[in-house]
Amino acid sequence: MSDAAIPTDGVAPATSPALRTRSQLRIGPRSLAALLLVSAVGVIAFGWPLLAQPGSGLAHATDAPLLFALLLPLLLAVVLAQLAEGGMDAKTVAMLGVLAAVGAALRPLGTGVAGVEPVFFLLVLAGRAYGPGFGFVLGAVTLFASALLTAGVGPWLPFQMLGAAWVGAGAGLLPELRGRAEVALLAAYAAVAGLAYGLALNLSFWPFVIGNASTIAFVAGDPLVDNLGRFLAFTLVTSLGFDIPRAVLTAILVLLTGRPILRALRRAGRRAAFDTPVSFQAPPGGAPRSP
Amino acid sequence: MTRRPPPPPRALHPGAWWLWALGLAPAASRTTNPWLLLLVLAVAGHVVTARRSDAPWARSFVVFLKLGLIVIAIRVVAQTLFGTPAPGSVLVDLPEVGLPAWAAGGTLGGPITDTALAGALVDGLRLATMLACIGAANALANPKRLLATVPAALYEVGVAVVVALSFAPSMVASVQRIRAARRLRGRPDRGLRSIVTVAMPVLEDALERSLALAAAMDSRGYGRRATVPARTRRLTTTLTLLGLGGTLVGLYGLLDGTGPAALGLPTLLLGIVVAAASLRSAGAGVTRTRYRPDPWSGPEWLTTAAGVAAAAGTIVTSLTVPGALDPAPWPLLAVPLPAAATVGILVALLPAWLTPPPLMMTAVRRQPRRQPRRQPDPAVEAPATSVSPSSEVAA
Repeated sequence: MSDAAIPTDGVAPATSPALRTRSQLRIGPRSLAALLLVSAVGVIAFGWPLLAQPGSGLAHATDAPLLFALLLPLLLAVVLAQLAEGGMDAKTVAMLGVLAAVGAALRPLGTGVAGVEPVFFLLVLAGRAYGPGFGFVLGAVTLFASALLTAGVGPWLPFQMLGAAWVGAGAGLLPELRGRAEVALLAAYAAVAGLAYGLALNLSFWPFVIGNASTIAFVAGDPLVDNLGRFLAFTLVTSLGFDIPRAVLTAILVLLTGRPILRALRRAGRRAAFDTPVSFQAPPGGAPRSP
Repeated sequence: MTRRPPPPPRALHPGAWWLWALGLAPAASRTTNPWLLLLVLAVAGHVVTARRSDAPWARSFVVFLKLGLIVIAIRVVAQTLFGTPAPGSVLVDLPEVGLPAWAAGGTLGGPITDTALAGALVDGLRLATMLACIGAANALANPKRLLATVPAALYEVGVAVVVALSFAPSMVASVQRIRAARRLRGRPDRGLRSIVTVAMPVLEDALERSLALAAAMDSRGYGRRATVPARTRRLTTTLTLLGLGGTLVGLYGLLDGTGPAALGLPTLLLGIVVAAASLRSAGAGVTRTRYRPDPWSGPEWLTTAAGVAAAAGTIVTSLTVPGALDPAPWPLLAVPLPAAATVGILVALLPAWLTPPPLMMTAVRRQPRRQPRRQPDPAVEAPATSVSPSSEVAA
């Protein structure tokens, strides 16, 4: 019993290569390819109003949102299945579920369709502590669980899931820093990611919510610059006044709580010993003694 | 001739309600005919009031209706402030301001005509009606049972969502407990600083529990997968990447519009089919039985068919009576009411009577008290043999 290869509770193994907890959900080459493909589809799903060429099949404001609202759930399911196949043990599942519950409990603190910044605060820190794969799945699972809890399942949900998944994965991809610099980096990232997320979601329902007989509306097949200008005007009059204070608040929250929360997450990750291969050895003295 | 007794209350399969709503929503999205839109709203509202339970999610219909009102307001305000000039008689003439050049040279203000305002109202109503259809599905379908129908390949992710759903209430309780403890010690429990001091214990609590839960799940065999042959695994990966790649190429073909036609929609559809097949193949690694699966029987088929009828009626109208789905919305009384679309939408009302009544939470809790009173009923009581309480659960 004494020579167990599993580190004991609360004590990091002395041979740990780095202080950083290794990624809990390793992204293999196949998962990476699937992730990149789905992200490319996601870029089209968010950005088609700006990208569609005149005369293309997508340049109708009515059909494209419906197409993507049905297509994205399937693609998210495929990529999540691929990530899960790479190895999702009970510890990862439990950690995902509990952190998603915390996120869903934080969600009502923010308001509005795009107002999920209190969630981002947790998402950014967890994605940082546990790596991009975990951050991606956590983002999708948190928003899904929150929608189920508040009975808010709608066509916006796949877009929110993909956006939050990107935010979580991006936090895991940030360069390695330690101490105050890390927290400052994460705070800046949280603010920028929150703003970008708000913009992307605005873009996803912009052709939908403003009629085409208005000067801040999407004009199908117009040049990129003209549509972009109109989109910025739309954002300016609708949501920018809420988005900026919320981004600042998220950054302040990360600055205030980043260090202790990161420490708590990393400690839990070490205690769960995600990377330790479990091996059983026969006791050296022949037959085991009875207790 | 005796009346058939009403079917016993049970919750309909959540997928049936979603399919019904997904049939009703296109009936709204395809038209700007205000009469048809109001009819869809009435149908959705009636079915919700007739068949919703008293569960918390059943109240979400009202939330979606309010969201719809907000959408109508945004539409109308955007039209009045940023509207382009439209024909019709001028109601109000607002002072006009030119916007900077980067905003594509738009204008602010200007004359507002009755047709422009009516168009904005009807377009907002269209979105609000679609939201109401989705809200109806949210109110009628049990989200937790919906989760039980996720494909087998998403088993682990599904378990994570279930964990999240069952932990969230205890998270809220945890926050309240820690705040109460802080108040008792005479410390502030509000404000930005207190977030830090409350959030930390809550998070530590949550992480502790997740480790305990993981140990419990591990010891009960959760997260175990059957050994999948290498060939199946390779097939799954190939299908996944091919499906995603096909979808991407198809979408680019649609976006570009200049390439060969085969690069667009056909490639996209092929990619979607292959991606769905990969999901099925990935499910081969999960061997599990399902605890009390939801039945899919007559009422579910009827509900789905009613939703499909609404969509079909709209399609028939769009093919036979061109222009009836997009009439000039003003004046209102001159707007026609196309027959096929109306009948289709009215068919979608049938689930309000043809489905079993919903299972009430309060009734479930009351049932043990009510049962003894029902037993002495002579019509039910078997003459000689004693009826065991479990036998009446059947049917």
